[in-house]
Amino acid sequence: MLKHLFKLIWNKKKQNSLLIVEILLSFMVMFAVFAFAVNSYQNYVKPIGIKYEHVWVINYNNTLKTQNSDSLTMFYEGLLRNIKAMPQVVDAGFSSTNVPFSSAHMSGGITVNGKRITYVNQFNVDDNYLNTLGATMLEGRWYNKQDGISKEKVTVINNTLKEKAFGKGSAVGKYFNDYDNKFKIKVIGVVNDIKFDGDYQTVGLSQYNRFDTSAYHWLQRILVKVQPNADAAFESRLYKFMANQMKNSNIEIEHLPNKLVAYNKFTLVPLIILSIVAAFLIINVALGIFGVLWYNINKRRGEIGLRRAIGASGSSVSSQLVSEALILATFSLIIGTFFAVQFPLLNVFDLSAGVYLTAIGFALIFIYFIVLVCSLYPGKQAAAIYPAVALHEE
Amino acid sequence: MISLQNIEKVYRTTNIETLALNNISLDIAKGEFLSVMGPSGCGKSTLLNIMGLLDAPSRGQIKISDQTTDNLNDKQLAKFRNQKLGFIFQSYHLINDLQVLDNVELPLLYRDTTAKERRQLAAEALEKVGLSNRMKHFPTQLSGGQRQRVAIARAIVGRPEIILADEPTGNLDSAMGNEIMEILLQLNQNDGTTIVMVTHDEHMAQKTHRLVRLFDGSQVL
Ligand SMILES: Nc1ncnc2c1ncn2[C@@H]1O[C@H](COP(=O)(O)OP(=O)(O)OP(=O)(O)O)[C@@H](O)[C@H]1O
Ligand SMILES: [Mg+2]
Repeated sequence: MLKHLFKLIWNKKKQNSLLIVEILLSFMVMFAVFAFAVNSYQNYVKPIGIKYEHVWVINYNNTLKTQNSDSLTMFYEGLLRNIKAMPQVVDAGFSSTNVPFSSAHMSGGITVNGKRITYVNQFNVDDNYLNTLGATMLEGRWYNKQDGISKEKVTVINNTLKEKAFGKGSAVGKYFNDYDNKFKIKVIGVVNDIKFDGDYQTVGLSQYNRFDTSAYHWLQRILVKVQPNADAAFESRLYKFMANQMKNSNIEIEHLPNKLVAYNKFTLVPLIILSIVAAFLIINVALGIFGVLWYNINKRRGEIGLRRAIGASGSSVSSQLVSEALILATFSLIIGTFFAVQFPLLNVFDLSAGVYLTAIGFALIFIYFIVLVCSLYPGKQAAAIYPAVALHEE
Repeated sequence: MISLQNIEKVYRTTNIETLALNNISLDIAKGEFLSVMGPSGCGKSTLLNIMGLLDAPSRGQIKISDQTTDNLNDKQLAKFRNQKLGFIFQSYHLINDLQVLDNVELPLLYRDTTAKERRQLAAEALEKVGLSNRMKHFPTQLSGGQRQRVAIARAIVGRPEIILADEPTGNLDSAMGNEIMEILLQLNQNDGTTIVMVTHDEHMAQKTHRLVRLFDGSQVL
């Protein structure tokens, strides 16, 4: 019977091609939606990697008249000392503008054994950064004062970069080169992955570099870890303190939890848009399948009557029509799966193969489900056709 | 072979009630070739549908091969039709998207058969109707007479004991009609198939064993 239905569909491939293309298209869209969703979910269940609940970000811009590096250093070191001395402050440190949950990104590359690794996020940080954010070292150590005077170039990387560069083993004490392959950099520590881009985004490759004092010319962020009881009154005191210290500077204080919420919303927008597009397409396809089957039944009343006359029961007629729809879907889904598996094979978006395969699985189930649901009712209608009546029309 | 007892068929539509068959009793012996005649609308097709278990009578009883049929469910009826009956229609009812051979195989699909058996039985049936050289054609590539021969092959492929033919020559010119009639007579004589045929053609009817005439749902001969 299956072979018979294949033949029937194959011989009608022209009439069926539109539906095949439509199902194929919706499979691809659903594949994209599910890949996006599965990836977002996988990211979501991973720990965020920092204790951000009581971390504030002070935005400022350097408006100091002096261009003298020593006096700049003295000023900013004094500023930080004063902030740290406040009783509500647990710890504080300078950072480049790409603080957690901000849209600022700085990207660079490194060379490992002659092979370039690109899209490495670059963070310029100080000795207090780790403790202020509450991240953890997986191995090795974070920066300290000694690193300021040592001759050797050292760096701290995140776990993702470690695995990409050195695999599963230990990385501390190992070396890689800068992007242009000119000088050696020694890894002194590996820090846990931090989801800088919010709950739903993939953790990228990250490298944390201890800035030297010349960076005070352009640094614009101070991260402040406060006590849980730090309130709005303290925030305004902190604001006033900053405004007093740095006349003419634009001071703004943000809270990481708020930034996270805002950033999450921002990253979910594409998923929402994609889902809306997908929903419209699916409705369209569902109506298409429904309509085509409905139309088929009316066009094929004679055939249905004949099949009943020569030995088909009502239920076998309806299961035939449902099977035809599923076979048609299978044609589309085979083609669709062929395209979909190219994504992990060619590693198009740097998502793991598992994400793509799960998405393919979900999309297959989803499309089959839609087709099944849309064909059940027309199938039932077909079973209700009176053969005696259908055979004498025409 | 077929026994009808006091068959009555009433069609009810919203405002009209049609008595399509009025108290018909009929016994058809095994191996008999019966023709049914009567003016249009007198209930010939209705009678054939009821014999073919495609439609249930409003009253009365049908026995086929000494088996009562009024207590069979949809599945059992389908199986019964598949094994005991072959149908031929005025408008052939071939599936245009299937080749001739696949059309002929159709009844066997609803039975336990292997693809090879189906192929062989269908080829034999097509040979009987003289269409061995058209197996790979599609119905639209055939003449009316050839199409009806395909339909006959389909009706006989499952070796049914009974063939029910509703105006099998109605759409054909007399030469082609005679050809079809010849095939039916052969089936009746050589294989002992019981045949009930509705026709408008006196000549055709004369070639059969017995003639039944209907008028307004009643048997008049
Ligand atoms: N499904 C139906 N619903 C209502 N009335 C019906 C139905 N089928 C047949 N009839 C009526 O029953 C009567 C007998 O119809 P039937 O088709 O048996 O006639 P027939 O003798 O085969 O005619 P023809 O020679 O034109 O084929 C007609 O009056 C017809 O209108
Ligand atoms: Mg009729």
